[in-house]
Amino acid sequence: MASPLTARIAEQHASVARTLAARLPGAARRRLAMETLARTGLPGSRDENWKYANLRPLERASFTPAALTPPAAGADAAVAAALPPRLADFMRYVFVDGVFAPLLSDAPGTGAARVTSLAARGDAADAGPAVPAPRHEPGADQRFALLNEAFATDGAAIEVTAAPEAARLELLFVASAEAQLGASYPRVELKLGPAGRLVLVERHLSAAGAASFVTSAVSAELARGAALDHYRVQELSSRAIAFDTLAATLAQEASYRLHAVGSGAAACRSTLGVRLAGEHARVALAVAALGDRTQVQDAYALIEHLAPHTRTAQTFRGISAARARVAFNGKIVVARDAHGSDSRQSLRGLLAGPEAEIDVRPQLEIYTDDVRCSHGATAGKLDDNMLFYLLSRGLERDSALRALKWAFLEDVIATIEVPELRRQVEERLAGAMQDGAALREELI
Amino acid sequence: MTRAATPMLAIRDLVVTVDGKQILNGLTLEVAAGEVHAIMGPNGSGKSTLAHVLAGRPGYEVTAGSVSYQGRDLLALAPEERARAGVFLGFQYPVEIPGVNNVYLLKAALNAVRKARGLPEVDAFDFLGLVREKMQVMQIDESFLSRGVNEGFSGGEKKRNEILQMLVLEPRLAVLDETDSGLDIDALKIVAAGVNSLRSPERSCLVVTHYQRLLEYVVPDVVHVLVRGRIARSGDRTLAIELERRGYDWVSGEAA
Repeated sequence: MASPLTARIAEQHASVARTLAARLPGAARRRLAMETLARTGLPGSRDENWKYANLRPLERASFTPAALTPPAAGADAAVAAALPPRLADFMRYVFVDGVFAPLLSDAPGTGAARVTSLAARGDAADAGPAVPAPRHEPGADQRFALLNEAFATDGAAIEVTAAPEAARLELLFVASAEAQLGASYPRVELKLGPAGRLVLVERHLSAAGAASFVTSAVSAELARGAALDHYRVQELSSRAIAFDTLAATLAQEASYRLHAVGSGAAACRSTLGVRLAGEHARVALAVAALGDRTQVQDAYALIEHLAPHTRTAQTFRGISAARARVAFNGKIVVARDAHGSDSRQSLRGLLAGPEAEIDVRPQLEIYTDDVRCSHGATAGKLDDNMLFYLLSRGLERDSALRALKWAFLEDVIATIEVPELRRQVEERLAGAMQDGAALREELI
Repeated sequence: MTRAATPMLAIRDLVVTVDGKQILNGLTLEVAAGEVHAIMGPNGSGKSTLAHVLAGRPGYEVTAGSVSYQGRDLLALAPEERARAGVFLGFQYPVEIPGVNNVYLLKAALNAVRKARGLPEVDAFDFLGLVREKMQVMQIDESFLSRGVNEGFSGGEKKRNEILQMLVLEPRLAVLDETDSGLDIDALKIVAAGVNSLRSPERSCLVVTHYQRLLEYVVPDVVHVLVRGRIARSGDRTLAIELERRGYDWVSGEAA
C-alpha cells in the first residue's frame, strides 16, 4: 500500500501530466517512472543507506514543477546576479528551475559536443525509459531519479563524438523558486561516443537565497575509450533542500573522473552509481563536503566492477563544523568476472566542532580472488602535532586551524584542473570557513 | 656586561610532569643574551622535555618553578605568543603538513612576528628576496617553497627547513632540539653554518644534543649535562669533549 507521501506525489503528478505532455516529449517514460515510483515509494530514514539523509522536508514539499508556475517578480534579475564569472573556452548553458534559459546561454554547440534542450528534442526521445528499473541491491538507489524523470520539465541532452580536443561545457542549474511554490528538476542525459572526450562543469546555485527543493538526475554513458572529466559543484543557498542521483556506465577503456565539491544547501543527499562494465574501464571519484551550522551533507557512492582489469580510486574529504552532519558511504563491489581489478578508497572526515557529526563508511564486497583493494577510513579531529607546529611559528590559533582545514580538503581540491573553476571553488570554501577571500590569497 | 642586565632566559627550580611522570626535577639554568648553551645528557634525561616546555607544548605540566624570558613570565604565554615574542623551537621531529605549503607558513609566521614587533606586513618582493637568500645559506632548492610543509622531505631536509624558518624569523632565543640527529656530516655543516649566521650579542641559543659532534661547529659558551631532570654539571666546551671520552656514566654516577 502506498504511503501518504507516495499518494500525494502520484496525485500531484496526475494533475500536471497533461501540462507536462504539452511541453516535453516522453509522456510514456514519465508515466512509467511514476508507476514504478508508486510501487517503490521514496526512501525512508529506516532504509540502511538513507539513515543520514534529511528526508523530513519531503513531507511538506510540493512536487509540482516550479517551471509550470509563473516566475516571481524580479526573478530574472536574481538569476542573472547568481551566475558566476564565465570559464574561458567553456560553452555555457543555463537552466532555471530545471528549464533551459536560452537568453543566458550560448547557442547549441556545433562541434564535437551536441547540446540539446530535452524539451526541444522531439518525439524521437520517447522510445523508452532512460532510467533502468530500480534495484535496491545491487545498483545504486534510483528512486529520486525516478522522481526527477516523472516531473522533469526540461534538461540537457548531450552527445559527444571523438575530436582532437576535449569538448568543454558548463551547465549552470539555478534554483529560484521557493519550495512551497514548486520543485526544481535539473536533468542531464549524457552520451559519450567511442573516444569522445568531455570536460563538464555541472554547477548548482540559488537565486536570491531561495529555499528551493531540487531533485536532479544525471545519467552518463561512456562508450569505448571515452573520457569524461566531470566537475560537480553544489553551492545552493543554505535554505535549499537537494537530492541528486548520478548513474554512469563505462564501456571498455572508458575513463571517468568525478570531482564533486558540496558546500551549500540546508540538506543535500547525493546518490552516485558507477558501473565499470567494460574491461580496463576506470573511475576516479574525488568528493569534498563541507558542513556548517545545522547542514546535512550526505553521499552514497556505489561502484561496481563488472569487468576484468577495472580500476577505482575514491577519495572523500568531509569537514563538519558546529552542529552539522557530514556522511559518506562508499561501497565497492567487485563481481566474479572482474579479475585483475584494483580499487583504492581513502575516506576521511574531520570534526571541527564539539556537536558536529561525521560518518564515513567504506564497504567492500568482493566475489573474485584476483583483485587488489585497499581502503582507509578515518574520522577525527585536527592533528594536535600539526596545530602545535603552526602555533610554535607564531600563527594565530584561528589562522592555524583554518590552514589545517584547508589542507585537509586539498586532496580533492587539487584535482580540479580548470584553474578558474578551482579559484572560484576555493573562494567559496574560504568564505564558508568564515574567512573571506583573504585566506585563499594567503594560502595560494 | 653589567650585573643588572636581564638574562635572556632564567629557569628556576623547574619541575615538570608528563602523563603523571615527573621528568624535570628542579632544573635551574640561566642563559645571558649573546650566549650559546649546550644541553647534553643521556636518553630520557629530560632534554626534549625542557625544549618542549619552553615552546609551550600542551601536555607538559609545570608543577613548580619558574621560567623568565627577557624578564617576562614565559609560562604565562600561549605557544603562539612565545613565538611572536621571539622564542623559536627547532623540532627534533619536524611535522609534515600536506596541503599547507612552505611559503605560506614562512610568510604567515614572519608576518605574525613582525606584527608583534610593531612592523608592517612584509612586502611580497622583499619577502621572496629574503627567503631566497636564506635558502641559499641552507642549500635548499627553491622548489621546496611550493611543497607541503616538510611533506616527503628527508630527515636532513626537514632539519635544514627548521633552520631556514629560524633564519627567516630571526628569534631572540632559539631552542634547537637534537637538530643534529640523523644528519650526515655535510648537512651538519650546513645546519651549523645557519645557526652561526644568527649568532649576535642580542640573541641566545639553547642547543639540545646527545653528541658533541655539532658542538665542534656551533661552539657553545657553556655546556650543561642533564641527568634525571636536573643539571648535574656545567662547564665550558671542554666538558663536552670530556663527556664524549668518558661517556654519560661518568656524570650519571656522580649525580646518583
